[in-house]
Amino acid sequence: MADRIPVADGLFAETKDGARLIGSRCASCGTPYFPKVDWCRHPECAASKIEDAGFGPDGTIWSCAIQDYPPPAPAKFDKPYKPYAMAVVDLADGLRVLGQIKTDDIRSVKPDMKVTLVVDALCHDDAGNEVVTWKFEVNHA
Amino acid sequence: MREVAVIGLGMHPWGKFGDKSVQQLCRVAVDAALKDAGVAWRDIEAVAAASSRFSGGRGWGLNGNDVIDDMGATGIPVYNLSAGCAAGGNAFNVGTMLVASGQHDMVLVVGGEKMPKGFIQTSGVEETTDPEYLRQVCIGVPGPTFWAFMCRRRMADHGTTEEQLAKIAVKARKLAVHNPNARFRKETSVEEVMGSALVSYPLRLFEICPVSDGAAAVVICSAEKARRLTTRPLWVAASAIATARFDDGIPRGLAGAVPKDGKAYHSEAAAAVRKAMEKAAIGPEGIDLIELQDNTVYYELSFPEEWGFCEPGEAEHLLESGATLPTGRLPINPSGGFISFGEATTAQGLFQICELGWQLRGEAGGRQVPDAKVGLAQTLGLGGNGSGTILKR
Repeated sequence: MADRIPVADGLFAETKDGARLIGSRCASCGTPYFPKVDWCRHPECAASKIEDAGFGPDGTIWSCAIQDYPPPAPAKFDKPYKPYAMAVVDLADGLRVLGQIKTDDIRSVKPDMKVTLVVDALCHDDAGNEVVTWKFEVNHA
Repeated sequence: MREVAVIGLGMHPWGKFGDKSVQQLCRVAVDAALKDAGVAWRDIEAVAAASSRFSGGRGWGLNGNDVIDDMGATGIPVYNLSAGCAAGGNAFNVGTMLVASGQHDMVLVVGGEKMPKGFIQTSGVEETTDPEYLRQVCIGVPGPTFWAFMCRRRMADHGTTEEQLAKIAVKARKLAVHNPNARFRKETSVEEVMGSALVSYPLRLFEICPVSDGAAAVVICSAEKARRLTTRPLWVAASAIATARFDDGIPRGLAGAVPKDGKAYHSEAAAAVRKAMEKAAIGPEGIDLIELQDNTVYYELSFPEEWGFCEPGEAEHLLESGATLPTGRLPINPSGGFISFGEATTAQGLFQICELGWQLRGEAGGRQVPDAKVGLAQTLGLGGNGSGTILKR
């Protein structure tokens, strides 16, 4: 039976309260990081105190675009290629992060829309497994 | 610090030159710059090269040592400067320091590139600790998409239209008709630009720069040498470089912090340009033309605002009113820009210096900015590198 496998390990998780990105936050200055870091890089931070942190799921699209042509390797996608929407999302907990938008209507995605972090299929591997990544879904009131 | 003069300008045209090596392209540019300066290769005391290759093999990219080998190994020092697409500006900065400090009297600054086909690729290093790699694998976001993100935000903030974006490309190509070194020298129309393939909505193929092959070289020297060699030296009013700030609002890998106050984008370019204006004690009103790094038409709208040349949201009006044409009050990219040249990454910064030089000497023909006295050039490169150069006559 086909499995659902993450595109990369240790970057995201599904919890009972929804999807989360796995990163770090500096307890000293509050700066968020994704992926995880070993030390705080804020030039004005007095003392690096890095702790594990989860980010999401609520956010707002800062900006977005459409991948109209098939991106070069190492990007992954199912064939035949179907353009997809991508966004830069400002999460409520302070992280500005990139992600694809899960939607069948890619041209309807616009800046300032409210979105929710989800885990969704990116593509399928040769064994038929579903390769999943983090994406954002537009909230429909 | 001593004054620094620019006395020689040389370029190999931009385009696709499959049969030529990067050394052959550089040879043409260096020979032209030496001839223009009226000096011989043996007069050059040091080379500052915009380099992207440091190993022995002669593949993609430039190594400054190869230029010296090809011109004749005289034993002079070479400074190989790496700064992504900003390398030309960084090499010029180091070259001017070598002369200003008194270390050398005459220096050659050179950049040349032969680019692989297609859009610029990242390192190709498959490491799951590399945010650049993860961004492509996990999300499928290649380089040009960043320009699309920035542009789309601008459309939301200022109501920029797709037609206005197309008009910038039309303007660029109209000017390139008059530039023998440009790759695309045919006029185009708003309809043709709007009809070109979408690369990453809202940006279309004619609104982003392709990769090109090209080379440019500049001879710089002390004031004393310049006065002996020429009656029409150009002067380096200021040259500055900078790197991106931590609080820059563009997430360059996978993520960053939501910026707390105000908007600071392309902070490396803004810092370099502002620092150059401060060092030269010349403000926006004192600058007669700008050669800026238009990897995409969007930058022609955003950069002038980020550097204080106009108010936020005013750039579209400047475009529509013709203010950014050579005959306008704020001429931008009279050369035809990257949109008409394509990008030979590390060489771009020196192509800009050459264009400023020809403009200030009044040798720019059909794209001439009337009576140009002061020009500004700017680069932006991978890794968060920016440069700003101000030349005056």
